[in-house]
Amino acid sequence: MERVAASRILIPARRKSRRAQMAIEQGIKAFFGGNALVAVIVLALITIFLFREGFGFFGQNLANLQLYRQAGLEYVDIIRAVTTQHEALSRKLSEIRLREVRSLEKRNAAPDEINAALAPFDQFASGFSDTAENLHGLVSDLTEQASALKEQLAAGNNSGSETALRALRERGATFESVSAEMTASVSNLMATAPALPDTAEQKSFDQWKIAVRDYLAGFPVASKKLREWSADEPIPWYRSLSSFLFGREWVTASFWQDWYGIVPLLVGSVMVSIVALVIAVPLGVASAIYVSEVASRHEKRLIKPYIEFISAIPSVVLGFFGIAVVGQAIRAASQSSLFKWVSFFPISERLNIFTAGCLLALMAVPTIFTLAEDALRNVPRGFKEASYALGANRLQTIARVIVPASLSGIVSAVLLGLGRVIGETMVVLLCAGNRIAIPDFSQGLGAVFQPVHTMTGIIAQEMGEVVRGSTHYRALFMVGLVLFTITLGINWLAQRFVARFRMSVG
Amino acid sequence: MVSVVEMPEKTSQITASGPEVRRGLIEIKQLDFAYGDHQVLHDVTLSIAPRAVTAFIGPSGCGKTTLLRCLNRMNDLIDGARITRGSVEIEGIDINAPGVDVVDLRRRVGMVFQKSNPFPKSIYDNVAYGLRIAGITKRTLIDEAVERSLRSAALWDEVKDRLHVSGYGISGGQQQRLCIARALAVEPEIILMDEPCSALDPIATAKVEELIRQLKQQYTIVIVTHNMQQAGRCSDHTAFFYLGRLIEFDGTAKIFSNPRQRQTEEYITGRFG
Amino acid sequence: MNDEARMTNVEGMTNDETASNAGSPSSFVIRHSSFGRGRFLEALTFWIFRLATYLILAAATYIFLDIGIKGGRTVFTRTAPFINVAFLSQAPQTLYVFDFAGKKMTLGDREFRDWKSVHPGVEVEATSVAYSAGGIWPCIVGTALLVIGSMALALGIGISSAIYLSEYSRNGPLIRLVRIAILNLAGVPSIVFGLFGFGLFVIFFGWNVSLIAGWFTLGLMVLPAIITASEESLRAVPQGLREGSLALGASKWQTIRKNVLPYALPGILTSSILGIARVAGETAPIMFTAAYAMKDEMPWQVARFTDFFFQGVMALPYHIYVVSSKIPQNEYTERVQYGSAFVFLFLVMLIALTSIVLRERSRSRLSW
Repeated sequence: MERVAASRILIPARRKSRRAQMAIEQGIKAFFGGNALVAVIVLALITIFLFREGFGFFGQNLANLQLYRQAGLEYVDIIRAVTTQHEALSRKLSEIRLREVRSLEKRNAAPDEINAALAPFDQFASGFSDTAENLHGLVSDLTEQASALKEQLAAGNNSGSETALRALRERGATFESVSAEMTASVSNLMATAPALPDTAEQKSFDQWKIAVRDYLAGFPVASKKLREWSADEPIPWYRSLSSFLFGREWVTASFWQDWYGIVPLLVGSVMVSIVALVIAVPLGVASAIYVSEVASRHEKRLIKPYIEFISAIPSVVLGFFGIAVVGQAIRAASQSSLFKWVSFFPISERLNIFTAGCLLALMAVPTIFTLAEDALRNVPRGFKEASYALGANRLQTIARVIVPASLSGIVSAVLLGLGRVIGETMVVLLCAGNRIAIPDFSQGLGAVFQPVHTMTGIIAQEMGEVVRGSTHYRALFMVGLVLFTITLGINWLAQRFVARFRMSVG
Repeated sequence: MVSVVEMPEKTSQITASGPEVRRGLIEIKQLDFAYGDHQVLHDVTLSIAPRAVTAFIGPSGCGKTTLLRCLNRMNDLIDGARITRGSVEIEGIDINAPGVDVVDLRRRVGMVFQKSNPFPKSIYDNVAYGLRIAGITKRTLIDEAVERSLRSAALWDEVKDRLHVSGYGISGGQQQRLCIARALAVEPEIILMDEPCSALDPIATAKVEELIRQLKQQYTIVIVTHNMQQAGRCSDHTAFFYLGRLIEFDGTAKIFSNPRQRQTEEYITGRFG
Repeated sequence: MNDEARMTNVEGMTNDETASNAGSPSSFVIRHSSFGRGRFLEALTFWIFRLATYLILAAATYIFLDIGIKGGRTVFTRTAPFINVAFLSQAPQTLYVFDFAGKKMTLGDREFRDWKSVHPGVEVEATSVAYSAGGIWPCIVGTALLVIGSMALALGIGISSAIYLSEYSRNGPLIRLVRIAILNLAGVPSIVFGLFGFGLFVIFFGWNVSLIAGWFTLGLMVLPAIITASEESLRAVPQGLREGSLALGASKWQTIRKNVLPYALPGILTSSILGIARVAGETAPIMFTAAYAMKDEMPWQVARFTDFFFQGVMALPYHIYVVSSKIPQNEYTERVQYGSAFVFLFLVMLIALTSIVLRERSRSRLSW
């Protein structure tokens, strides 16, 4: 072994002065630190900005609600509700008629015969819808008055609002006489109600009659409400929040009154996500189990990258595919004789919750698959070997050992899949049908085939057209905030599960 | 296994009587060290002689590695780790003083780690790394230094034909000697070794120990080891630590033949630890 | 499975459960008590899993084939150069469809005007279909510009931040909070970033719908993902390499540059490319920050240099949104719809494929 050279002259004293060297190091650190700071500040800014723009909504919406009361719009809407109910009853009558026609057709009746058989009923129906003529007149008069007053108040002109309100109430007070008249005419009409040939339809007609009786009984209630109504009664502050969180109507840019209720959008988003998860979770988890426990090496090497590859399909392409192919295919399938037994088939809208859900499922599958497969693969070998050593077969080992051990990892995979689905925009914008309404759950599963609008969709659709700073603009920010909160919550939960998974596996 | 071991009542009294080192190259004075709230070194005073091998022994978790890492301020990298009292001086300079350049310090105090950690580069580049870092670009100088360092680490003959294969492409013992060569290349004055043989087989261990004995003629070596035979074989002085305190520090022969403290004796004879 | 099945058959035990009960005094015989039902159940379950897996693959393949075949008709041609150069190099135009002299004519905007000048005085009843003639060149350019700008922004800030977080910062509660915040922000829907970009850049800063607003919006959108992924790759580099380098007297920066970054780079690169795919593929954030449905000039046709940054551009994903939702589905629109979708899908998939291949390769190479 050789001696180490005694001389230690190879490395000279540091050329740059120590101070300069330190300064450079500090500078580099400051550069990275500065960048990190920028990133953190900007990301914090996003949150702050969202909140800033969103929280302005409450004040503005409160003013919006106040105006609704002060201009008497609320007053008019009490009467309008009565009108709407009447219209609903009329619609029921035509539904009954439609079904009646169908059942007659089944008995091979000629069109003329059908019309003749239903003539008394038609007469009755048109008579019923005529009874509300005066009411409609009243509502349209009041609407005009209140709209004018609202415009005036919104412009900041309070003069003469008292008189205008008084005039509104005077005209409104005629509701009592109008409703009394209506009660009389409807009661007369009911006495002449014709009988229907079909017993089933007669039954629903009888139910309808009961509904009408209830309807008439509601008149005094409405009158009472009208008498008690006061334009000066203040609107409590929380109404602004509750009308947003629990409001069942999202109406914007309306001539009458804008409503910003998130419920229809939230329900839409949730429904679409549920459909997507119902499809994606079994597929994703099953394929994860398959790939990690059953598949051969060659299969694995093909399947894993391929499924990850799917996650890169841009959502707008999926959305386009939904419009171009899937929606059409689903509607065609619903019309086929194969599904005759399904009560809510055939469906009328090709773009609906189910269409969007199917496509979103394809987006969620890669997320669920990748993370679940990860969790399954990270179950320690020892667990598996111990189970085999006790004589369990593969299925038993998977079901009793591997899946339970990785369960929280799988749950977090599902949660992250949900996060991805609920925040997805383009697919729902293109494929969910964009009808702002809570689906009609009375159809049971059929509700899944109705169009909805979603939180992400509404932002994408309406953001481009709003006036900056308007209530509508801020309402969209509020929707964004709700979305933000939901996804943060889901993410946070998912991380909690991941942490637990790490702990349990060790 | 572990019998109840009473703590020495007056630690400072014991540590005061070290081996005959009049003025150590490294002077550790009343050092307290803590990770966060957890104090791991208590009042350690120790003086390490130049051109000799000093071994730190003691059961796991007694703070010997921590002390070693104090000597080139490697503990700076650990969050919450800090010296709470006392000082470490090398050639009379407090290495924790604000003006000290830690980079320069580490160049003068080399280190070999428990787990061999060659860089994922070629053998040649591994050894040349420190030189290049120091700003040496002349190819001939680097070539010379690489050969010299590898010869010093007794690795040259084994790898001279494959200097450009990856540092991971050689055996564990060779990897550890590569790490030693890497440390030697920058010509440190002190070399710290943190259980350098713990992952090696007996033959590789013997080689490294032989190397250590060679190196002490040029360098001051501080070695942490679990293995008492190893300390006995290659060190000149031995310090025994227990629960963060220096129990006994003396010439290796003295410690192994006639320790003053009962704990030391029990540990050395294998009664606990 | 087969071995065991054979064994049981030899033993003649095709019956199912409870044959081997633990208390039976029989000698030590390996029995396959649960052969029938257990084995069958296992095979059935695995087949269901296999079916589920291949169903996913089939669905994706169907999409690729549908868009590939129908879009391929637009993008490729039967004659040399086999690629529809016009589609890839022209701007979108309105398509005019009319009958003339018993023939059905379908002409793009410019062709239609030319045709009219050739046939003066001929009045035709032409139905116009927006966007359905011409090509998608400005959209490709716009998307490229958006991706380059936003990725430069996100990579610069993101990798620097990751280096700071992983190499320099002390692991205090504040840094932990920052890390959690960044991790969580990575899951925030892109539309929320779009909303933010619209509110801040487009309106509050007054940048209007512009390239620069799009850069910032998209850049910020991928920033959390880039930081998280880069930090992960940096942390995957063993601590020993850092200590080894520092112990040799390397400064912190030297250590990072020579002994950490090179080994973290494959991981950072992979995540960056995945980020590119995401930025290129997103529509929601640029809908109201950067994208125009139609613009006549190319991005470089600007009067002043600064105008370049403050102009809106056409972008491929937005174009697909527009042509699939704003114009009807019929034989005249299919060309541009499927053509755009094909080109876009092809580009994004190419980027994603690069990333996956790169990762597989680096995974097998670097291990410690």
